[in-house]
Amino acid sequence: MLQELHIDENNVAFVPSLGITFQLNDTGKRILELLQEGRSKDEIVLALAKEFDADWKRVYRDVEDFFLKLKIYGLEQ
Amino acid sequence: MKIALSGLNNTDNPAPGIGVAKGLKGHELVGLSYDPNEPGIYQGIFERIFLMPFPSLGFEELRDRLAYIKEQSGIEMVWPNLDAELPLYIKHQEQLHDMGLITFLPTMEQFSVREKRNLAKLCSELGIRHPRTEEVHSVDELVRVLQDFSYPVMIKGNYYKAKKAANFEEAVTYFTEIANEWGYPILVQEIVEGIEINYTGVAQGTLYGGFSIKKLTTTDIGKVWSAVTIKNDAMQELAHRFVEQTKWRGAFELEAIAAKDGIYLIEINPRFPAWIGFSVDIGLNLPKMALQLALGKRVRKKFTYPEQKMYVRYVDELVCDFGKFTQLLSKKEL
Repeated sequence: MLQELHIDENNVAFVPSLGITFQLNDTGKRILELLQEGRSKDEIVLALAKEFDADWKRVYRDVEDFFLKLKIYGLEQ
Repeated sequence: MKIALSGLNNTDNPAPGIGVAKGLKGHELVGLSYDPNEPGIYQGIFERIFLMPFPSLGFEELRDRLAYIKEQSGIEMVWPNLDAELPLYIKHQEQLHDMGLITFLPTMEQFSVREKRNLAKLCSELGIRHPRTEEVHSVDELVRVLQDFSYPVMIKGNYYKAKKAANFEEAVTYFTEIANEWGYPILVQEIVEGIEINYTGVAQGTLYGGFSIKKLTTTDIGKVWSAVTIKNDAMQELAHRFVEQTKWRGAFELEAIAAKDGIYLIEINPRFPAWIGFSVDIGLNLPKMALQLALGKRVRKKFTYPEQKMYVRYVDELVCDFGKFTQLLSKKEL
């Protein structure tokens, strides 16, 4: 389902087959973009830590949380 | 072409007639109504309005009324849009044709296989999931059947009405209410967690056109108030399979739940839904397609439409002469 997500200029992710939407913040949007590019979780953590000049351990915790939310919302099996 | 259509209610419990009329612009339209309070009567869409006898009065009353309307207004086609009247029209469509009235309806057999009480069997033939459903005819049976269900549970009439019961007391209340209004059987159905999606289409043995939506907001009784177009391959495939299996003729609506383990078909309506006007606005005029098929014209299949188009119903106001209302009450026609 992640691959079919449309993310618009308002940071809203839309699932075209189900019509459901998710409001994202800038970080969430960036994680989804990286996921759609086929990056792994570790690669996403390193990319975000670099982009936001943040401690990778802190970023790892946030990314882990975000992945859990993707599962809860049924976007990732 | 002069077409008579019913389903003129346009309140928060809308009927399909106004949406169908939207797709038939350019034709002369006659409105068939059961109630002078239906807003569609006064919207300036119909050149004539006729009050109709309730379907419970039987075919002879309907036939005589339609014969009169044909004589008065010259209608060539009759297009029923309401669940309660459809069985009568479907059963007697040959007689209507003999009267010179074109219809575009399924056969009685097609109508029957998608009834809620028969839907589990049809779903099994289609290879599609269906929520567990039990048919009950008495409170005794209801009590016994409910022991195997967890709450909340759906209590449904075979033809109309469905209510979600949160506990045993509510289930008994809804069973009685629906049975009193719509008769037996009553169906007890498990609730499948997921996202409700809908599909409407037109067919004549094969599917000619259709599209899917996701409801965004509904009225208190579950009618669509806003919606968005979606592209769901599983729903499209299901629509094809349903039409091929039943050789469906006419309009239809599929109601389904997209659950984690796949699509569950929960209802098939043998008519267009009240939001059918949406099809016209996204360039997929399904009522027009249905009319062309009814007239035996060549119709090009069409399943393309824009994604993420939003449908919004809204409240409007109009002013007309009160005499129209009183004329309908007294003379049964306008």
